[in-house]
Amino acid sequence: MSGQDLPAGMSRCVLCGEPAVARLRDPARHLCAAHFTGFFEERVSRTIADGKMVRPGDRIAVALSGGKDSTALALVLSHLLPAWDDVHPVAITIDEGIAGYRDETLRAAQELTSRLGIEHHTVSFAELFGKDLDRILAGREQRACTICGILRKKALAVAAGRYGATKIATGHNLDDEAQSVLMNALRGDLPRLIRDAGRENPCFIPRIKPLSLTPEREIALYLMLCDAWKELPECPYTRYALRAEVRGMLSKLEYQHPGTMLHLIESKKKIERYCAGAQVPAAIRRCRECGDPCSGELCQLCRLRHSLG
Amino acid sequence: MIDAGARTVEQVLVDLGINPIEVIVSRNGRLVPDDAVVSGDDEIRIIRIAHGG
Ligand SMILES: [Zn+2]
Ligand SMILES: [Zn+2]
Repeated sequence: MSGQDLPAGMSRCVLCGEPAVARLRDPARHLCAAHFTGFFEERVSRTIADGKMVRPGDRIAVALSGGKDSTALALVLSHLLPAWDDVHPVAITIDEGIAGYRDETLRAAQELTSRLGIEHHTVSFAELFGKDLDRILAGREQRACTICGILRKKALAVAAGRYGATKIATGHNLDDEAQSVLMNALRGDLPRLIRDAGRENPCFIPRIKPLSLTPEREIALYLMLCDAWKELPECPYTRYALRAEVRGMLSKLEYQHPGTMLHLIESKKKIERYCAGAQVPAAIRRCRECGDPCSGELCQLCRLRHSLG
Repeated sequence: MIDAGARTVEQVLVDLGINPIEVIVSRNGRLVPDDAVVSGDDEIRIIRIAHGG
């Protein structure tokens, strides 16, 4: 047992007695840097195993924006993957073309992958769609996150196909997932969540979210402890989004009522289970215009193209 | 300067109107849990967890 003479007011790790860096809830316990990091990676490993997210032979495209969530994802995977049979990562960065924001995160992504020795490719909106995001959005900033989300999804799918990936892993964390449940409810479109989750369409490269049970705050702490934390600029468009409001509201609720975010995820999963039998598997259709697999006449991207004129 | 008699990090943050789950705090250069006790001599750094995946 070390840490005999800790200064007053300092708590110790319940497992080893070293100075604690985190107080976790449910169950309440203090952990030191090493034990927190171990716990963090174990939870990701369990999320992947429970969700059967990875299979031998998988080539996993890690959507690496260079921001904190995807950086943590790349780090954890680089620690976990060597223990798995024949699973390989390839990092993919989408350069949307957001002035004053993307350059720094792009550089961070490059530094990280060369440090971890991960294959890395960058694909830009300009290359795929002929214009960068700033030019696509001009005058439509209110819809920035919706539009960017649709384009980014497409760009990732194209890049993942191009570099031979069998899965796409994104850095969505517990906070993101809880926000999405609430936002869909607030928009009167909760069924959309279930539709998206239930889509087992063989034409899509499956998407996995290994951090979906990990709180955002713990991701930041993990990065600091791995010496990979960077103060990066925020995306200039987030202030237009409903998500920013929902985010503040939910983190207040989570603080006052611990477990709120997990409860939202559990609700979603319960609804999914109730619907599982009732869902009529939609026939796989192809977009009338571009031929991409989709659920309606036109895919999301072609509908967006029309609305942008 | 924050006047922190002998309070926990959490109390200091709440008094400043900061939600403790939106930040991480270091005391004298070391990351500490939010129930760590701080006093006036301590150098406290509040690191905001900015958004952006
Ligand atoms: Zn420990
Ligand atoms: Zn289409």
